[in-house]
Amino acid sequence: MTSPFALCILAIVTLSLLGLPIGHAMIASSILYLLLAGQDMSIAAEQLLNGMYTNYVILAVPLFILAAELMNIGSMTERLLLFCNALVGRFRGGLAHVNVVQSLIFAGMSGSAIADAAGTGRMMQAMMTKDGKYPASFAAALTAATAVVGPIIPPSIPMVLYALVSDASIGFLFLAGVVPGVLMAGVQMGIVGLTARRRDFPVEPPIPLRELPCITWRAFPALMMPVVLLGGIYGGATTPTEAAALAAAYALLISAWLYRSVSLRDAYGSLAYSARTTASIGMLIAGALVFNYVVTVENIPESIKILLSGWNLSPIGFLLLVNGILLVLGCMLEGTAILLIVVPVFIPTAKALGIDMVHFGVVVVVNIMLGLITPPYGLLLFIMNTITGVPLRDIVRDCMPFLAAMIAALALITFWPGLSLWLPRLMGYQG
Amino acid sequence: QAKPNLRFSAVFSEQDIRAEMMKRFGEAIKEDFTLQPYFGGNLFKQGTELVAMQRNNLEMGNIAPQDISNQIPEWSIVTSAYLFRDADHLKKVFASDVGSDLKKAAEDKLNIKILGPTYFGARQVGLRPKKKITTPADMAGIKLRMPGGDAWQFLGQSLGANPTPMAYAEVYTGLQSGAIDGQDNPLPNVQNMKFYEVSSQIVLTSHLVGFDLLCVTDRVWKAMSPQKQAAFQAAADAAMDWSAKQHLDKEKELVDFFKKQGLEVYTPDVAAFRDFAQKKYLASDLAKSWKPGMIEKINAL
Amino acid sequence: MVMDRLRTLGGWLARRAENVLVLMLGAMFAVFILQVVFRYMLNLPIGWTHEISVILWLWIVLFGSAFVTRESEEIRFDIIYGAVGRRARRVMAVVTAAALVVLYTISLPAMADYVSFMKVERTAYLKLPFNWVYAIYLAFAVASIARYLWLGWRAMRGNAPEAFDPTKAGSGV
Ligand code: NA
Ligand code: NA
Repeated sequence: MTSPFALCILAIVTLSLLGLPIGHAMIASSILYLLLAGQDMSIAAEQLLNGMYTNYVILAVPLFILAAELMNIGSMTERLLLFCNALVGRFRGGLAHVNVVQSLIFAGMSGSAIADAAGTGRMMQAMMTKDGKYPASFAAALTAATAVVGPIIPPSIPMVLYALVSDASIGFLFLAGVVPGVLMAGVQMGIVGLTARRRDFPVEPPIPLRELPCITWRAFPALMMPVVLLGGIYGGATTPTEAAALAAAYALLISAWLYRSVSLRDAYGSLAYSARTTASIGMLIAGALVFNYVVTVENIPESIKILLSGWNLSPIGFLLLVNGILLVLGCMLEGTAILLIVVPVFIPTAKALGIDMVHFGVVVVVNIMLGLITPPYGLLLFIMNTITGVPLRDIVRDCMPFLAAMIAALALITFWPGLSLWLPRLMGYQG
Repeated sequence: QAKPNLRFSAVFSEQDIRAEMMKRFGEAIKEDFTLQPYFGGNLFKQGTELVAMQRNNLEMGNIAPQDISNQIPEWSIVTSAYLFRDADHLKKVFASDVGSDLKKAAEDKLNIKILGPTYFGARQVGLRPKKKITTPADMAGIKLRMPGGDAWQFLGQSLGANPTPMAYAEVYTGLQSGAIDGQDNPLPNVQNMKFYEVSSQIVLTSHLVGFDLLCVTDRVWKAMSPQKQAAFQAAADAAMDWSAKQHLDKEKELVDFFKKQGLEVYTPDVAAFRDFAQKKYLASDLAKSWKPGMIEKINAL
Repeated sequence: MVMDRLRTLGGWLARRAENVLVLMLGAMFAVFILQVVFRYMLNLPIGWTHEISVILWLWIVLFGSAFVTRESEEIRFDIIYGAVGRRARRVMAVVTAAALVVLYTISLPAMADYVSFMKVERTAYLKLPFNWVYAIYLAFAVASIARYLWLGWRAMRGNAPEAFDPTKAGSGV
């Protein structure tokens, strides 16, 4: 490590801590590095522009954001909640189970946990706390915890970003997330069941069975989203990148045409929101691309590989180390930043240890997602705090059982690669 | 005085034969230089190395002839189908007067020194459908994935296929799902990327001899004495020859390997393909930038 | 009076910039659909759609960050930023703005040199000179310098920057 590099890291940390957007902090600090190392400063622009221009698969990110937005403007969320209620409302802690199932289904339509919590959090909170049915802090914590499943089940923006840094196939990453995602939801339902009995949560009046077909039919187009998506990829119609556009088109079609609930103004609003979000994630990607040049030219991933090989870690030992590091970082850093800056550093070592890149991707993404509900920095906690006004401390407290259970699920996903790889292998993945 | 550092960036991985070629080269020049290789397109992205060299942000690169022809149109001749017969012919042409002409045109304008061509295998067509391919007419309607850009897509048309662009990383799933019917790559790539798992046959069209150009910046080259230059060139020649031989051996091995995997591997009517392709190229806009008589000279070598 | 008129003009420009950004994202979406329809349904693969969508992506990010994104939407590390008081936040804003303005400004000539150098290459399908495609970086850099000069100046004058709003932060996770 050279002194320009040390100063570059110092600059990134200082500028980010002082509140400069992380993308700008990385670009500015990389310029500082080039200046101090006596290199051509235009390399920063070169890396940013060529990196953005040549990474075609990354275009899935804006399109998945758009798809999630278009889903949210329709009346789809309400229909889904009705459907979930018909399905699991009749059990003890019915609405809490509804919250879990809603997120599981939403996960199949959207690639982002933030979109789930921000899109359905308000409605879920109102339903659960009406007439004092559930404590507000439990409801808020549950919505935050259940949203975690969003990007583990396809589609998934974090998996697209992981594919960008690892060259793993997006198609197989998506398939690999399905079983772990369902497992996480199952674990959440287990915790809900235990808590419901202990705290004597209410039961929802059962929906008559004869109404079920109608309710299902009304939610059916939304339920079909994952089928359309994976069908598009595996049926030969689209590449994974194009599948993101297909998802957005499908969302627009059912919201506008079938549910007739979208005005032009709504459509403009979702495009505008998606474009703004795209710009702000894009800046982070741009900053990471520039900073990646600095890290590469300094041979950092190679040095880490050599350092770690000195420890003679087994693959499992290495995975545990990565889990530990990512969970700790998740308490402090934004998930996209961890994926783009920290994860690439581990990839050469993971490859050298013979760890399957698709399995590694699932482990990494689950870690990043858990980081969204670990304090002090947990974006989902902040969102629920802002939406509901419940103090952060109370949300965190009620979130802990879910966090603990999901860390147990993470351990299972880590130790048992077959859990992730079973479905991809079924579809022809050789790994 | 410290030895100058030569940064080298390439898109191939550290396990590639060409990475070993560069290690050998680095070993041979270690008295005068420290070669610092970066693989996997980690330092500069594929296709951006040439500009990085022109701006002296990179000292050495393995530059694709397609990238050179992007700036020097007459170079598009060496990217046309069925120009070189094999690795040996490729080497002969670059060592001849024609080769000197081409190299001079590039070197004068791009501020680089071309050390020579690095062969990495002839491009062959791999297909998912079982349809037997004999002539270009049999390729009609086949969705053949080609790299992006007009020049590559034209190469696909010159095989009689329906070329379609797709990111390299998406080709495996594209083949598996049937979004595309085939791809064209040298056999070692077909093995690396496991395309053979999702193909039923490989048609040995050998339509393009795949090669890059090992280059060093003028700034480094001109700072060397003539003796140093000669030694540098000799080290590059030895490494490139070794790599070419390794690739030829590997290609032979892979034909057997793919057959063992249950694929049909056969040679079509190559003469029919050559006729069809050369006619298409000569009638195209690309040929307008070619020096008159050059194609005949190359054919005669 | 003048300030008011400037503010009105600024608001109008910001809305038009957003219109352009929305248009670009809409076009990118449409081009993708066109690409799927042409290849899968009409069996007529087209390549220029690839190129347009990649250029649009680049422009959406740089144009959007330069002219449309609000301060509250940026992804930042805000444990400290969100916790401290107005006074500290003002000092922090001045320091980061100064660093950004200095580094972006001294690198600007080199960046301009690279962008204009790229005239030697053209895009693969539309044959657009790359110096045009990449010129958006210069717009982005100049706009960022201007924006942070303004933010820094405002912080010095006594206006603390907006606090962070997690429901608006444009994170993709
Ligand atoms: Na939920
Ligand atoms: Na998802």
